[in-house]
Amino acid sequence: MNRTAAVLALLLLVLAPPLVASNQFLLHLGITVLLWTLLGAAWNMLGGFAGQVSFGHATFFGVGAYTTLILYLKAGLAPWYGMVLGGLAAVLVSLPIGLICFRLRGPYFSLSTLAVAEIVRLVALNWEALTNGPVGLLITTLPRVALSGRTINWESKLPFYYIIAVLALGAMLATYWLTRARLGAYLLAIREDEDAAESIGIATVRAKVLTLALSAFFAGLGGGFYGLYYRYVDPDAVFPIALSVEMVFIAVVGGLATVTGPVIGAIFLTSIGETFRERFLVGHLIFYGLFMMLVIRYLPEGIWGGARRAWAGRR
Amino acid sequence: METFVQSVVSGVLTGSLYAMIGVGLTVVFGVMRIINLAHGDLVMLGMFGAFWAHALLRIDPFVSIVLWVPLMFLAGMLIYRFLLKPIIPGGELNTLLYTAGLSLLIANIALFAWTGDYRTIKLRYGLTPLRPFGIAVPIPLAIAFLLAIIITACLYLFLARTDPGRAIRATSQNPEAAALMGIDVDRISMLTFGLGSALAGAAGVLLAPSLYLYPTVGELLVAKCFVIVVLGGLGSVSGAIAGGILLGLVESLGAVYISVAYKDTIGFVIFLLVLLFRPSGLFGVGRT
Repeated sequence: MNRTAAVLALLLLVLAPPLVASNQFLLHLGITVLLWTLLGAAWNMLGGFAGQVSFGHATFFGVGAYTTLILYLKAGLAPWYGMVLGGLAAVLVSLPIGLICFRLRGPYFSLSTLAVAEIVRLVALNWEALTNGPVGLLITTLPRVALSGRTINWESKLPFYYIIAVLALGAMLATYWLTRARLGAYLLAIREDEDAAESIGIATVRAKVLTLALSAFFAGLGGGFYGLYYRYVDPDAVFPIALSVEMVFIAVVGGLATVTGPVIGAIFLTSIGETFRERFLVGHLIFYGLFMMLVIRYLPEGIWGGARRAWAGRR
Repeated sequence: METFVQSVVSGVLTGSLYAMIGVGLTVVFGVMRIINLAHGDLVMLGMFGAFWAHALLRIDPFVSIVLWVPLMFLAGMLIYRFLLKPIIPGGELNTLLYTAGLSLLIANIALFAWTGDYRTIKLRYGLTPLRPFGIAVPIPLAIAFLLAIIITACLYLFLARTDPGRAIRATSQNPEAAALMGIDVDRISMLTFGLGSALAGAAGVLLAPSLYLYPTVGELLVAKCFVIVVLGGLGSVSGAIAGGILLGLVESLGAVYISVAYKDTIGFVIFLLVLLFRPSGLFGVGRT
């Protein structure tokens, strides 16, 4: 079933955009879904596999976004390199955060990530020389790029769709690797019983810090893409608590520690949320909260986990 | 010198309200081991309750508290009975995520119903502050301070002297032993969550005339209350009171002597340091 789902998803990724290219809203929805898939998958690596609930992933997203835009505006570096460097900057930021916060466990870890994220947001808000403070950073034009002789039209949403599709796919592949790799097994052991994991010789802190770095890299890439797509960042857009919380919800509602879960979560929550936002402007997170509560009560493995179980039960 | 006294006074005034929010959170944590991320949104509901009572019915916010406290108490008991109780066996992280969901749900329903506009309650006696010894004390904040002291003192007496209060403290120390002594832990939990919600609502009503009101204000408040309860030690009532006043002081002195822009950062930095080095709180009374 996993393989069928993967093939179907790939087909959808490649075929869908030309079909809906005339409809800007659908294309925008597709991009948003893929961005949230990427972010949900990034959070899932740490939260799903290792059971470390971070409420501060907006930090990595924001660092990625700011790095990309600052490098472009101040050093003239093309944003696609900036995006990768944004991911790496997020990795750098994640190391001290991991070393500090991983000294705490369970809910205390979650609270500490919340505090760190708020500190970073306030620094971004007040370090005007670097971030331009609450005004934010704006880019007006993107550099000319020619791909096999044709200039890419940045005014269209289509190239962005393909970029984010590749990034989201990368995050899913990394998650798939985690399900196979030794590190992934370590993380599951940590999630089930951290003391036991340590007693059988797993370097728990190292495993968690490594995973946080991986997770931060993808969240940073997502932030870089956000900066590129919206061409504007400010602290309230890229560093809020709500952003961190949304990542958590996508992964939990979709299904923790699964490859497909974040996709399902993103498709489900983002389409409901964006449709609601189109119509009512505010309050689109009502359903995020509602589905979070329903899933934890009735489907603790998430939508995908539950579906997979139902499928296995039928056979 | 005058600036110093002024900022100490306003720090203590705001701190008393922080303390009240923190006490609600810490009592709930003590009894149920729930970190209630929706606590700030309950405060928000209290604030909007005061706002609407004033805007529609012309009731003074400080009078409307007699209406909102019982209502929030009831709401809290219902939330516990129908929403939280089935989740608690799932473990601490599940309840944490669940209350995060609840928080988003409450805040966004409020956003949908009342939009994200900033609102204020304008009181006739709120315009000119009292000036004892040349220090400016806004009258609404002074009234809020007095009521907060009265309410917190009543709660303290309730916990210390009455049977249900003793049952709450016993459950908080050891749920199994309390159950063996014949305490109905489930009923005590419901009562406690009602109390915590009532305190949050009351604090919201008291804060309403002094703050801007908007539906997502709970996000800011809940972050502050975690700072408070961790400073005082999670689960400790007197710790939360001290932590609240301390945070109020840190914020107002920090704004004057360090930087207005970074005043909120100071609270979070202290929070991290305490969490790392004194996880049982500054006074060593909380549970790690």
